[in-house]
Amino acid sequence: MISLIGFIGLILSFVCNVIVIGLYYFKINQRFNQIFYLVLYCSLFFICLSFFALMFAYISSDFSNFNVFQNSHSSKPLLYKITGTWGNHEGSMLLWLLIMSLYNVFFSFNTTLKEPMQKLTIVFQSFLYLCFSLFVILTSNPFLVNSIDINEGLGLNPILQDPALAIHPPILYTGYVGFSLILSLALAGLILNKLDNLWIHALKRWAMFCWLMLTGGIALGSYWAYYELGWGGWWFWDPVENISLMPWIAGLALVHSLMITQQEQLLKRWIVFLSILCFSLSILGTFLVRSGILTSVHSFATDSSRGIFILILFLVITGFSFILFILKSPQSNKQLNLLFINKTSALVINNIVMLIACITVLLGTIYPIIVEVLTNQRISVGAPYYNSTVLPILLPGFLIMSIAPVLSWQSNKLVKVKNYIYILIVTSILAVLITYLTKFNIWGFIGTILGLWIIAASLLSIVHNYLKYKLKKFFIYNNALIAHIGVGIMIMGITFSSIFQIQNNFTIQTNETINSGQYSLQLNNLQITEKNNFQELLGIFLLYKKNELLTTIKSGKRYYYVSKMITTEAGIYHDWFQDFYLVLGDEKNNKWSITIYHNPLVSFIWIGVIIMIFSGMVGILKK
Amino acid sequence: MDWSYYNDLFGNGWNIEKMKKLFLFTPLILVIMITVFCLVFLLQGKDPSKPPSALLYKNLPEFNMIGLFDDSDVISNKDLNGNIMLINFFASWCAPCKAEHPLFFEIKKNYPNILLIGINYKDKQEEAINYLNTMGNPYDYVGVDNKGIIGLELGVFGLPETFIVNSKGIIMYKHLGPLTKKIITNEVTPFIQ
Repeated sequence: MISLIGFIGLILSFVCNVIVIGLYYFKINQRFNQIFYLVLYCSLFFICLSFFALMFAYISSDFSNFNVFQNSHSSKPLLYKITGTWGNHEGSMLLWLLIMSLYNVFFSFNTTLKEPMQKLTIVFQSFLYLCFSLFVILTSNPFLVNSIDINEGLGLNPILQDPALAIHPPILYTGYVGFSLILSLALAGLILNKLDNLWIHALKRWAMFCWLMLTGGIALGSYWAYYELGWGGWWFWDPVENISLMPWIAGLALVHSLMITQQEQLLKRWIVFLSILCFSLSILGTFLVRSGILTSVHSFATDSSRGIFILILFLVITGFSFILFILKSPQSNKQLNLLFINKTSALVINNIVMLIACITVLLGTIYPIIVEVLTNQRISVGAPYYNSTVLPILLPGFLIMSIAPVLSWQSNKLVKVKNYIYILIVTSILAVLITYLTKFNIWGFIGTILGLWIIAASLLSIVHNYLKYKLKKFFIYNNALIAHIGVGIMIMGITFSSIFQIQNNFTIQTNETINSGQYSLQLNNLQITEKNNFQELLGIFLLYKKNELLTTIKSGKRYYYVSKMITTEAGIYHDWFQDFYLVLGDEKNNKWSITIYHNPLVSFIWIGVIIMIFSGMVGILKK
Repeated sequence: MDWSYYNDLFGNGWNIEKMKKLFLFTPLILVIMITVFCLVFLLQGKDPSKPPSALLYKNLPEFNMIGLFDDSDVISNKDLNGNIMLINFFASWCAPCKAEHPLFFEIKKNYPNILLIGINYKDKQEEAINYLNTMGNPYDYVGVDNKGIIGLELGVFGLPETFIVNSKGIIMYKHLGPLTKKIITNEVTPFIQ
């Protein structure tokens, strides 16, 4: 019953979007406007109905629904029943549709744009919606009825039963799918040939919002990977991570290019290109993951008909957009104010760097496919490729970031260059000192010095702005600088946590103490607790620093009854400057093997991300 | 220096504007190329987890390996013939290996008669031992292939990789990438029952 309601909602929402496009095309009715928007809202209502019907089926453990049967179990906690709705391929595609529709409706409330532009954008968004809802209806229907009568389901993958991962997909999708609206806006702008200030302003806000959500989603995902997978790291260059990284980099370039146009109203062609590129990469990524063409740790149920369908969608949407881009490409009547070195040229260089990084990731991701088609040989591209290509590409970008604050928009002159040079020297000495005190590593040194330069230069600029304007409009002048401080902090975190990570393996008995430097670790006791859907073994460890009790770390593993899987629950002690990361291993003769990772400055990564998101939010809200 | 020669070579029509126009076509061309490659890949019915293998349904090549825990423990695969074997290539540096690792305990539990052989591929001995201590050791025998010679023999592409050899010593199945519960129930079980 509930499945039927959900399916009808899905179909009606499809029909509504057909009507929206039809109304725009034929312009038949006098009261065209009202009906146009009314139908648009109806489409949102129906997809909500459909989505909540599926969610209800999950909450009520309605195993007559095949999707629920495959991915849920009645003993799951309520939270994971709810989030189980989007923890599978079909449900996540339904979430995808819901988000597309939400963007369309929220965009219709935007009053800054002229009517033709706004309507055409809505129509394009509806068209994209149609494409994807056709995909859901034909190949990934979440409302299929279970052919056997059964009163228990197969259960959700236990590693997905986690609070961070429960909210990770909606946030990630808000960004990832949100780029569809950016594409719609770009296409509408191209067709109407009106890439004016209003258009750029609207694009900037929406692009910024999408990009921020994507940032938050990726950060949540990697935080989840950090503490749930128990591998001590937070980024694995897994295909799924890469495909969210590509639109992220493109979006980063887009957000920055929009800064230039705010100053100079140029580079429109480049902006339209990036707007198209973002969603193109989103679709390509969806194809690569959902078709099962790439093997990944995060696997979705695969089916080649789905793959071909999304591939056709990719060709149609992206092909159409780029053809339109060729035909109606805007002519820039003004030459770009590219001087030897000013803010504009710095941003352009950074844009190029980002695009190259994006292409490098793309190449690594699809290279195995190309090679196999051509030579029938299988190769695998992994972390070593990305680390040795993407990171060096990013270096000049970071270097420019550290000098950007002293550059000016209009001239070659550097602003207050003396102070800047002093502060560069001071931070360089600091970086050398840090390197001297830690183990020397060339990448560690480069990362440290770049991170410090970026932070110092941005701080200096903030101080200059403060002296000039006092607190008046503090965020308007300093917002971008604050974001860059976040980046600097993140670079420090990434550098230290990946290069100076220390891994130790021990075996330990109850009440035994292990010493390592000034720290010592004691296994206090082991507890076994029974929960509704899993059994948990927890080791209670006491961490001492110079014989003073620092903290208790609980590290353990869970055995999930339904899926018969064991998950590790790493115990992490967060400090501002370091993480102690403890994984409980196996037992042999009453001795437990444990792995301890000492991850310096890992919290800086998350702090940096939070600062970036904060400053992005301010950027959206400010007038 | 006279540049006119080069002008003639490339034609006089090559000016910046034309170059710019040509640039506009690059994304479209790239999109079409990517689509074509992916389509060919899909239409050939290729499954990333089933790489082409010349060895499938042929005899397991002969090789000797040294035990991971004990250097003096040398074993040849000939000695093991007569058993159904599951050979898994793994390494401590391989993240997907960690993902599939717990599943071997289950295979071991459900099918105690099959021989689980782990081959530690291009790894450091100490790290491999630590890995098995932390993650547990489901294997009946763990061999070392630190130079990748056995891997070369068997055509290992990337880790993890799993082979199933029947009691006559013939390779019946090969899987590239981490095993999952679904793959085990649908594809692996028929060979090890």
